[in-house]
Amino acid sequence: MHIEVALFAHLSEFQPDGRAGRGARPFDVAEGTTIGDIIEMLALPDEPRVLFVNNKHATEQTVLAQGDRLAIFPPVAGG
Amino acid sequence: MTAQDDIACRPPVEPADDGAIRKRLAASLVAIVGCGGLGSNVAAMLVRAGVGSLILIDYDAVEESNLNRQMFFRDQIGVAKVEALGETLRRIAPGVNLALVHKCMTPENLLATVGDADVVVEAADHAEVKAMVANVVCSHPTGMVLVAASGIAGIDSANDIATHRVATNFYVVGDCRSDVRAGLPLLASRVMLAAAHQAHATIRILLGHMDP
Repeated sequence: MHIEVALFAHLSEFQPDGRAGRGARPFDVAEGTTIGDIIEMLALPDEPRVLFVNNKHATEQTVLAQGDRLAIFPPVAGG
Repeated sequence: MTAQDDIACRPPVEPADDGAIRKRLAASLVAIVGCGGLGSNVAAMLVRAGVGSLILIDYDAVEESNLNRQMFFRDQIGVAKVEALGETLRRIAPGVNLALVHKCMTPENLLATVGDADVVVEAADHAEVKAMVANVVCSHPTGMVLVAASGIAGIDSANDIATHRVATNFYVVGDCRSDVRAGLPLLASRVMLAAAHQAHATIRILLGHMDP
């Protein structure tokens, strides 16, 4: 199935098409794929992150569906 | 007003209707998680703008090293930040309603602490705490809005600090990259600029203007 992945901040180095940079990218994955599976496929660093699917909060256990837009945001320290 | 009536559904206040703006802000409740460089300055700006009620949350006490960027004074060193900030805010606006919460936030106690806020401002130091606050607040079923910060350290251009709407109820202020863990300093100019972005984004949201 076809989804879209938006990787924020330094995660833009891990884009599914291998081309670093901003902007959401298309990604073809198998039915039943979870956000956790995507994190593993893209080899994202193990760090604090916030997940959204179609602008709604999600978890690593969330199962993705055709046409979903996944956004992954990693906050950095400083306050 | 409470988050329970979904702030995104309220009609926007007309930009030139000063009376309606004052009335809406005076009836609003904002929770600020962390009262350091970001949170103390956000609080001062919101109170000056006329926000009627704040929940101030912080577990720490004022230290001398805070005075280079935080809304505290030398005679407040050693005082709990929420107490010191409350005192300063009441000097600015004696009628402001303040709830002072001197404790550390956890996934278990955060929602109960900020439960009725119209907007929550994340102004924490550590990335782990920032993510925890975002994950708890953004999963709230009533659609509570979070204004967070990420990437405020260092000496890069002030123009790189911006307000981003990452998801429907999740706004992020900062350049999203400048991390204190990389050894970058926290300078008053950049920290207070980010705080002003957070305060203004909060005000716009309270007034029903949801674009960043």
